[in-house]
Amino acid sequence: MGIDIRNLYVNYGGMDVIADLSLTIPEGCFFTLLGPSGCGKTTLLRTIAGFVQAAKGNIYFQSQDVTRLPPHRRNIGMVFQDYALFPDKTVAENVAYGLRARGESGEAMMKKVRHELEHVGLGHVMDRHPAALSGGQRQRVALARAMVIKPQVLLMDEPLSNLDAKLRIQIRETICDLQREANITTVFVTHDQEEALSMSDQIGVMNKGKVEQLGTPKEIYATPRTAYVADFVGAANRINVTVAEANSDGTARIMLGDAAILARNTLTATSRDGILIMRPEDLRLKPRTSAETQGLKGRVVKRQYLGGKTSYKLALPDETLINVDSHGDDHDGFEIGADVIATIDPSKAMVIAS
Amino acid sequence: MIRAADLRAPWLWLSLAALVALLVFIVYPVANILTASVSGDQNGWSRLLSDPRGLSAILNTLILASAVTCTCVLIGVPLAYVTARYRFFGKSIIALLPLITLVIPEVISAQTWLMALGNNGLITRFLRDIGIQLPSFYGWFGLVTVMTFVYYTYVYIGTVAAISGFDSTLEEAAQSLGTSPARSRMKVMLPVILPSILASALLVFTMVVGNFAISMILSNRLPLLSVVTYQAAVSEGGAAPVMQSTFATVSVVMVMLILFLNRWIVSRGRFEIAQGRGARPVPITGWRGAAIGLAASFIVIVSLVPLAVIAVGAFTVSRGPVMQWGNWTLANMERVFINAPQPLVNSLIYAGAATLIGICFSALVSYLIIKKRNAVTPWLDYISSIPLALSGTVLGIGLVVSFNSGWLPLTGTATIMVLALLVRRLPFGMRSAQATLHNIPNSIEEASISLGSPPMRTFFKVVLPMMGPAIASAAILTWTTSVSELSASILVYSGGRETLTIQVFRLIGSNLMAYASAYGLVLIAVIIIPIIVATKVFKVDVFASK
Repeated sequence: MGIDIRNLYVNYGGMDVIADLSLTIPEGCFFTLLGPSGCGKTTLLRTIAGFVQAAKGNIYFQSQDVTRLPPHRRNIGMVFQDYALFPDKTVAENVAYGLRARGESGEAMMKKVRHELEHVGLGHVMDRHPAALSGGQRQRVALARAMVIKPQVLLMDEPLSNLDAKLRIQIRETICDLQREANITTVFVTHDQEEALSMSDQIGVMNKGKVEQLGTPKEIYATPRTAYVADFVGAANRINVTVAEANSDGTARIMLGDAAILARNTLTATSRDGILIMRPEDLRLKPRTSAETQGLKGRVVKRQYLGGKTSYKLALPDETLINVDSHGDDHDGFEIGADVIATIDPSKAMVIAS
Repeated sequence: MIRAADLRAPWLWLSLAALVALLVFIVYPVANILTASVSGDQNGWSRLLSDPRGLSAILNTLILASAVTCTCVLIGVPLAYVTARYRFFGKSIIALLPLITLVIPEVISAQTWLMALGNNGLITRFLRDIGIQLPSFYGWFGLVTVMTFVYYTYVYIGTVAAISGFDSTLEEAAQSLGTSPARSRMKVMLPVILPSILASALLVFTMVVGNFAISMILSNRLPLLSVVTYQAAVSEGGAAPVMQSTFATVSVVMVMLILFLNRWIVSRGRFEIAQGRGARPVPITGWRGAAIGLAASFIVIVSLVPLAVIAVGAFTVSRGPVMQWGNWTLANMERVFINAPQPLVNSLIYAGAATLIGICFSALVSYLIIKKRNAVTPWLDYISSIPLALSGTVLGIGLVVSFNSGWLPLTGTATIMVLALLVRRLPFGMRSAQATLHNIPNSIEEASISLGSPPMRTFFKVVLPMMGPAIASAAILTWTTSVSELSASILVYSGGRETLTIQVFRLIGSNLMAYASAYGLVLIAVIIIPIIVATKVFKVDVFASK
């Protein structure tokens, strides 16, 4: 069951938190709303759930208009950041709650509950209370509780952010497996780009109540359409530039001091000013020799050894600072004060409108 | 803004219904008091200015309240400090303190102190026999003594909570920066706990201003505000309530000023303790430990004197006012249970009804205030806390004046008795229900709704069970305080509707101490048995909401 959002406005105290947002989430899609706090992603999720009323616009589940439907009649499964388990009920009763609300009872219902709990690997804790479970177990109970009612859509509000790093990766896998098995349309809210990139079929990067860019994880990462997206998904060096020469093959030649850089050009034909985007991990470092003319001349001003890589901060001749992540053998081979050359593959650098 | 969706949901309608109830039973009586001091050609304020007795009552009340507040701080704070910071012999009996204040109604404290130190008291007679003449217990001596031992626990409880919440690493930090332990404590701990001490001291002040039972029994010829208010109410009745309204207004204004001062202090002094690591109590032994233990035990044992005296008095033979100590009888108890059981029955019914209605109302209205905010709910919050500023006497006057006759005549009915208890104790239940609701995250309710449970069903299936423990403890507290209520109910009761407290008060007035003790002992049992059953059988943490 797909979700269709058309010209949605949500308004808190006279301010539009979401303005004219339209979005189509295909059936069975794992869709992530990604953005910093305050960007409207949770509000959008809660509007889909029905806890927040839309001021204008419509929300459809498949072809059914649910905009005015109260949340308890939308047949959604929802997973919350703080788990929201009922503390006075056992694990089994928590999972049975939605089934009871649908008039089910008895052994048939308990069978479903047991099956769902076994599915998330918690068949052995049915009679415990939530307080006796670990954080990861609690979130898995919450997941079972949401899935057992066979909802039309699954909505998840930062379900992993209260968990520690290792558990987060484990639960991530559980969520993906369950979602794929049930082939259920899922909306997942997070501010964590790694979560978004690793789990999603589609990502909507949100900013100030709007979807800034929509695409597959790879599209979002490799071809950010705005500086905001480039910066939020992954890290990026952003330098304001003027294109010296727009080539017919879609590349642009840019002068940074006396160094020429080739980058993909996404500017319109008439415009010359833009932002050069270079990801730290795409830049390559080598020692500077006097004969070198290609690449950016820089001097190492800071370095952080991080085990698998070393992060450098370079000062360019005009004192602009850029970040470079160096991988591979000898990635820590440059000392502070060393003169270096940084180069980038033209397909990895790009110029976007400012 | 009210939207169509709000009109469909039941919450707005419930809020409006609650608002109407609060307007009729709280705002209307209070408005009547405030306006009745000037009615027709009668001006209570000019009469007050030419009434030396009334003016000195106000002055005396302020002096008494200040004196008792000071003595309570002097006893309560050191006691709290040593119990929070040290371990010593006899410490465990101090844990009984909060229970004692709850269990012993003020009227009984006053009575038993009289039985010990009054003109014909046990100790007075003993000392007289060996040639020591005590000053008369009536007047300042008795008032300050009894009120101190009744109210110091409030300072104690407030201070203990503040000290145990204090992060002792702050003290260590101060010491690491070069101040001595004693100095660090003064410089670092005192400013943090001072707001709590002040807040509890002000609470004591307001309770002394509003105190009825002890003032009536012990003031004798010393005029006090609550006494002259009560006397004005009795002599004027409900028809032309000019002077009683004037005095009641003075009391309301006095208490309101203190409450605002209190709120100001609390809001200014609210320091966030980032992470509390309360200090572990340090054992203290030797002569210092013994001295502290003795001093602390002395205070607690003195607080327990009423229980002992009343238990003895209830089984002592008496002829009129004369107690024949040492001669035992069951006649007093026979009277309570067989000859005149009506006060016991009344107490059970009225307090039971007030508790039941009060708790249901508090749970629902608190839910509306915290979880279902709309244009009406802030008003529910304000109005339901008004009784905090009303002494029992003031509330009683308000109810009598408002429902004496006219469109809703309730005088003489059981309803007005229940109403008096209900309104007086409403802030209790509201406060504890709101505190629990704040701790129930919204996501719990949303989880239930997202699973297909409609909002009303969610309230009953999810929210209410989670509020259960707090509701139980609030119910116990409401019950105990309703059973011991005197000052409001004594103004609204009529013949045949006496409660146990009223009966004890009247018997003390007639100097029939043996009968008073018997009724008092039963009163204490009615209070204490539910507490014991709740804590032992149902494992309710009675003091969780305190």
